[in-house]
Amino acid sequence: MNSGIDLQGTFIESLQDLGLTPGLAKLLWMPLPMGLMLIGATIGVLIAVWLERKISAAVQQRIGPEYAGPLGVLQPVADGIKLVFKEDVIPAKSDPWLFTIGPAIVVIPVFLSYLIVPFGEKISITDINVGIFLWIALSSIAPIGLLMSGYASNNKYSLLGGLRAAAQSISYEIPLALAVLAVVMMSNSLSTIDIVEQQSGYGILGWNIWRQPVGFIIFWIAALAECERLPFDLPEAEEELVAGYQTEYSGMKFALFYLGSYVNLVLSALVFAVLYLGGWESIIPIENLGALFGISENAPWLQVIDGALGITMTLIKAYFLVFTAILLRWTVPRVRIDQLLNLGWKFMLPVALVNLLLTAALKLTFPFAFGG
Amino acid sequence: MFNVLKQVTDYAKESLQAAKYIGQGLSVTFDHMQRRPVTVQYPYEKVIPSERYRGRIHYEFDKCIACEVCVRVCPINLPVVDWEFDKKSKKKKLNHYSIDFGVCIFCGNCVEYCPTNCLSMTEEYELSSFDRHELNYDNVALGRLPYKVTQDPMVTPMRELAYLPKGVLDPHDLPAGAQRAGRHPEDIAEELRAAQAKEEESKEEKVN
Amino acid sequence: MNIAEGVQVVSFFILSATMLAAALGVVLLSNIVYSAFLLGGVFMSMAGIYLLLNADFVAAAQVLIYVGAINVLILFAIMLVNKREDFSELPGRWIRKISTAVVCAGLFVLLGAMVIVTPWAIEPPSTAVVRETTVVIGKHLFSDFLLPFELASVLLLMAMVGAIILARRDFIPEQIQERETALTLPERPRELDALEGGTGK
Repeated sequence: MNSGIDLQGTFIESLQDLGLTPGLAKLLWMPLPMGLMLIGATIGVLIAVWLERKISAAVQQRIGPEYAGPLGVLQPVADGIKLVFKEDVIPAKSDPWLFTIGPAIVVIPVFLSYLIVPFGEKISITDINVGIFLWIALSSIAPIGLLMSGYASNNKYSLLGGLRAAAQSISYEIPLALAVLAVVMMSNSLSTIDIVEQQSGYGILGWNIWRQPVGFIIFWIAALAECERLPFDLPEAEEELVAGYQTEYSGMKFALFYLGSYVNLVLSALVFAVLYLGGWESIIPIENLGALFGISENAPWLQVIDGALGITMTLIKAYFLVFTAILLRWTVPRVRIDQLLNLGWKFMLPVALVNLLLTAALKLTFPFAFGG
Repeated sequence: MFNVLKQVTDYAKESLQAAKYIGQGLSVTFDHMQRRPVTVQYPYEKVIPSERYRGRIHYEFDKCIACEVCVRVCPINLPVVDWEFDKKSKKKKLNHYSIDFGVCIFCGNCVEYCPTNCLSMTEEYELSSFDRHELNYDNVALGRLPYKVTQDPMVTPMRELAYLPKGVLDPHDLPAGAQRAGRHPEDIAEELRAAQAKEEESKEEKVN
Repeated sequence: MNIAEGVQVVSFFILSATMLAAALGVVLLSNIVYSAFLLGGVFMSMAGIYLLLNADFVAAAQVLIYVGAINVLILFAIMLVNKREDFSELPGRWIRKISTAVVCAGLFVLLGAMVIVTPWAIEPPSTAVVRETTVVIGKHLFSDFLLPFELASVLLLMAMVGAIILARRDFIPEQIQERETALTLPERPRELDALEGGTGK
């Protein structure tokens, strides 16, 4: 494997050539990936919102947003601007402090989780060795924010919605973690980059989706439940609970919830792509292509193309998953709360455990295919 | 032992069946995605209501004989007929007539039973107002004729599905003289007249 | 002192200050919901201190288990048990107060002695960065910490069995009889067939 492009190294080196100390150069580099992550996540959300509206419209034989920009691409931006300028209402009998902190606690962990998503071998914010475990840990903070905003609204629908959201996300965290654990067991590492590397080399045939056919279904169901997408959107079931924990929110605080839910959806799709669809790997193995045409692996333009291709492949896979989530939204009716908990505890948990045991057994029997 | 096995297989079968049904549902929604949108861009384009459209009721004050049949056939006795007996002419004299369209269900019974045809259905359906009491139309408001969609310069009129040529589903950009599919009422009337004439001829021949 | 060390010191002081403030808030605030939320803050700042000690896996596990599970369960318990009781003076309250004070003071003295006696300095200050923390933790769990590990699993199993028994009401005879007043409606007997797996599929 070639080392690929090392943006951080080159940036720091070029700053050092300008006469800065290494520490200062590193300090100047640090905010760049953070800002890029925030901007990237926000743009990803804008695209996801536009896709949601356009695909929903197509499924219902409508046109969808059309007037704001070409094909209505600026509609999410218009929505965002509207929400920014709306009055920020804090209900009179609510708890103003908790009411304000709640949305922030929901949104911050979701954005933090973008740290671990790799778009290429060197194109990631950090390569921490607890990688995917950090994502699971951070996503468990969100229920606290939901409970907080549900309680602080001083509204029975909000409280019910918050409690439902917390119950749902703690019960689906376990199958999710077990499904991830099976993948981790095969790649011998929690780091997302190692997980992708383990799937590389054979194109589409090397992806984990073939080795974990049960795991990927469990992961996707649990991820939908964690994102509170239909058919698991009980916490904000509008027929029963008005809008759940969001009922009393307006303006920017509501926008934070809205943003958080879509960031979470895109993030889950990205993590799914990394865990089961080979991350930045293309359908056909590309490394051999350079050798086929007799080009050196270290040619800079080839590396640039490689990096761009990696980012494109990851995004294509992730947005394909977002598309299936949207299509699923208009296909499947919402489950009841007892069906939800039954599915989580009586179906997904045992199946995920069996999947984990089977993976361990297969790893011992066929170490060449299941990562010895 | 076998009981447990059977339970397990049944459960697995049910799960697979559920997965199959979800797959079928997904294929239906995916199929719908490729269909042509049916959107009519409402304030700029409007569908032309059909001849039998049951919109806001039109009322002619001068034709009304204050018989109150409309009140009797109305499911909720909605029309208000305010009349007094004029002793000189020994006739009912109508003072006011009103229908509250906030309550009316547009069933058309009053129009059906009116002996003098002073009530009729129009094609007006845009009845929104800021106050529900504004929907209580008196005889002057009831006597106003609605704007026709086809005559409004701001609006592009769109034909309904049944009024499109054969095989066309999109009302946009129809060719100028496009006629709807099937026989038109005037054609049917013509045919009937011709058939009647023929019958009479044959009858005459028989008599002769 | 370079930038990295400066960042470490500053974040250590910020984390300790927030942890102490939040812990004091947990104890001193009268609103129990605030206490529960502040407990989450304490756990989070502890996770931050673990991160400063290069224990990334322990930090993530702290967040997952203490914030994501235990704190949420505490909040659940507070929000579901919505029983308002009037505060009543107990006759022998001063005995309880004094005994609590004695226990607290004893704990404080014990912990203080522990802080003073323990030799904190590790020699030589280990600079070795453990790359794969999970592997090291796993090896420790299955070698020198095997007994506590297995005991913890037995304890969890017992807790699970207890929870199942509490959840399945048919094991516990129902003793509580509602007093009939003129205003209570005749209630249907609670059906347990769903639990016994008889009729429900």
